[in-house]
Amino acid sequence: MRSSFMGSSTGRASGRGLVAALATVALIAASCGSDDDSSGGTTVVGDSSNTTAGVDSTPASAGGTDVRELVVARDMDVNSLDPARAYCDTCQIYLTAVYETLITVDPSDLSQQIPRLATSWEANDDNTVFTFALADATFADGSPVEAKDVKWSWERLSNVKASASYLMDGYSSIETPDEKTVVVTFEAPNSAFLPIVSAPYMGVSNSDEAIAQASALADETAETDDSAEPFFLENSLGSGPYQLESYTEGDALVLVRNDNYWNGTPQFPMVTIKQVKDSASQLQQLQAGDVDIAMQISLDSLSQIEGDPNLNVSTTDSYNFVYIAVSPGAQGPGGAELQDPMVREAIKLAVDYTGILDVTVAGNGKLQASPIPNGFDGSADLALPAQDLDKATALMAEAGLTDGFTLDAMYPKVNVYGVDFDVMMQKVQQDLKKINIEVNLQPVEFPQWIDAINAEGIPLTAVYFAPDHTDSSQYPGYFGMIDGSPWSVRAGGGAAGAPIVNEKEAPLLSKALASSGAAKTAAYTELGQEMINDLIFFPLVNPQLVLASQADVTGNLYSGCCNLDLSFVGIG
Amino acid sequence: MTIQDPHAIPTPGADVVVATRTPNRSRRSSLAMFRNPGIAFGTAITLIWLVIMITVHWWAPYDPYESVGSRLQSPNGQHWFGTDALGRDVFTRVLYGSRQSLPIAVLVIASALLIGGTLGALAGYFGKFADTAVMRLADVTMAFPPILLAMAVAAALGPGLRNGFFAMVIVWWPIYARLLRAQVMAVKQREHIEAAVTVGATRGRILRRHVLPLSFTGVMVNATMDLGQVVLLTASLSFLGLGAVPPAPEWGAMITEGAKNFYQWWIAVAPGLAIATVVLGFNFLGDGLRDVLDVRSAQR
Repeated sequence: MRSSFMGSSTGRASGRGLVAALATVALIAASCGSDDDSSGGTTVVGDSSNTTAGVDSTPASAGGTDVRELVVARDMDVNSLDPARAYCDTCQIYLTAVYETLITVDPSDLSQQIPRLATSWEANDDNTVFTFALADATFADGSPVEAKDVKWSWERLSNVKASASYLMDGYSSIETPDEKTVVVTFEAPNSAFLPIVSAPYMGVSNSDEAIAQASALADETAETDDSAEPFFLENSLGSGPYQLESYTEGDALVLVRNDNYWNGTPQFPMVTIKQVKDSASQLQQLQAGDVDIAMQISLDSLSQIEGDPNLNVSTTDSYNFVYIAVSPGAQGPGGAELQDPMVREAIKLAVDYTGILDVTVAGNGKLQASPIPNGFDGSADLALPAQDLDKATALMAEAGLTDGFTLDAMYPKVNVYGVDFDVMMQKVQQDLKKINIEVNLQPVEFPQWIDAINAEGIPLTAVYFAPDHTDSSQYPGYFGMIDGSPWSVRAGGGAAGAPIVNEKEAPLLSKALASSGAAKTAAYTELGQEMINDLIFFPLVNPQLVLASQADVTGNLYSGCCNLDLSFVGIG
Repeated sequence: MTIQDPHAIPTPGADVVVATRTPNRSRRSSLAMFRNPGIAFGTAITLIWLVIMITVHWWAPYDPYESVGSRLQSPNGQHWFGTDALGRDVFTRVLYGSRQSLPIAVLVIASALLIGGTLGALAGYFGKFADTAVMRLADVTMAFPPILLAMAVAAALGPGLRNGFFAMVIVWWPIYARLLRAQVMAVKQREHIEAAVTVGATRGRILRRHVLPLSFTGVMVNATMDLGQVVLLTASLSFLGLGAVPPAPEWGAMITEGAKNFYQWWIAVAPGLAIATVVLGFNFLGDGLRDVLDVRSAQR
């Protein structure tokens, strides 16, 4: 649910600083549907050895002696480095490198979990009890990773009630029968939990040290009384291949090798994630050899570096997407007209989807049917959106709005995943003008946008989303018109309105969480169709990512769970 | 040596000693001033842009808001300055940009002149408390770098050219307050004012009829030069996302688009050229006016 925190943005630092300091964005987590029928279970047993075998260039052992340091150029969006509070794209990279999860996702196959801190794991038949066996891993200070650390970390994540806390929603207990076994029990079936465990936000910290050094709290008082966040901006307490050296906002995030790493020798003595704001600067620094990896090269400038023998450049499909959303309950101009589903369908049909794909990412992307992105369970069998101006015009006439109306469109002034919102929204404005809808564009800074959408909704807006983990449940949980979901509130006009609820969706989500295999895919497909029928979200672009690095850098892969997993990166 | 026989000083600069002007002389000198190359050049550029601003909708090749070709075309026969990220004709947008920048520049200077000038004239003429109050307020405003103050105001009010206008008036009024105060204080000392006082004219009448007309020459020179500065500040605000809102064809906003598309140089260069010529035009005009009107010697 990254859409609710800063993505990489081209918002101007100066302007942003004046409007407001970075707002802390409290996000209502998706409350996953609950209980009923329990059928089918999964039992997954991982490789019992202590390695992350199966993935090329695992914690690449450099033989101890130093290759060069790794420098990554990125427009960072760090909101916190506290493992329980961090929630951003850059946080995914940081947490993955520093705090390990029990299992992780095979970068080459989204549906495959591979071992990390856990050697094996299993779920009971109805997906309510999950048991993990831990490896003989150690934290950076040499102390062993024990079941109590897992329990403490997960309970703290849940109890600080921060943006990522929703990942632990619905658990009833975490038990530790012995030092190396963790048993998590859920009130209702939760087939999403194993993918969730591979999310970087589920990393394990050294609980003894966190309590001793930072007085961190994990119990119910954590939400109000925990004050460990500043400590985690300067220190890390994980078991991963790297440790935090320093973080300077707007400058660099510096990691150093964990010399006590339990699972081989990390490749780089030092990894620096350097703040480089725009695509053009990232590209120039990459060409000049100042950085090893540039993470946000725009697709329009791809032609500048393609074929450069010193660079390794490719594009890959991503699970990110950018969408526009209409809120029938919003207060502003156009909100009232949007209450008519015919008008919303007319808007959907008026948008020139392929044209938008062209102007935003030069065609390097895909269309997407529902809020469940291509590649996730339930995305395959749905019809892609297409422009049909005649039908759109007819619908407007039928709704009695031949002369159109004015529609307010406030959106965050950002540039995410290569998509410049200004360009995209001007195209939407052009398209909707063809059915006489006058779109009034209002680009604003992100904090102002989030205030507006949560307070009274925004008639037409544009947002972006990157997955938190690899299970489809996050999409209906966030986008579904399900009681308590963030968008059911926003679409209904925020705090000032009344949530919109589609009664079919909550039971479908419960069903999906209780099933597996084909039944699960069918349930998510049905949910995807319901979300299409809601006529609230119109996904526009599922962009490709540019992976650009120096020619000798290996393992610069896009990971569905973790963005960039630094432990796979090496020098070849 | 303010009031002299005009024929004694033959240079075009000094013969415009304002107090002695007769309508006849005035017309002659205003024509003569075009012999100054600066004025001629500045006037030409300014006039060209004014004509473009007024007539562009009759002859511009395309609609500035519509996508008219494939995107990011480099300059070619059909699109002289290429097309932007949405496939709009950059040349057309640059021409239409004059409709955003020039009216706002004139409005800002006029408003600043009205507000700042009035306050400054009152402060200069009446002195004492009025002087202190107005000047300290001006000092406080001028203590901030202009761009920073304008950004702060525009950010607080929200984006949009209208709010940018308010922001710029707030930045500019103290300049005219100071200028008019100084001019009024200088003119106030002159003998003919003292004569007017002796004759029994009221203070308001003296200020209106005798002081202000004499003070205005220097202000006009300054205002002309400032027009260019306002165009520049408008573009700066829009460049920072605090001025014009998309899809307005505003020069600063277009440069932002150009900066995002770094390798498509024409998107930023074209509006950049427009800003450069307009600012240059106003500056030449202002410079030339200063030489012709010879503000300094007129005050001596």
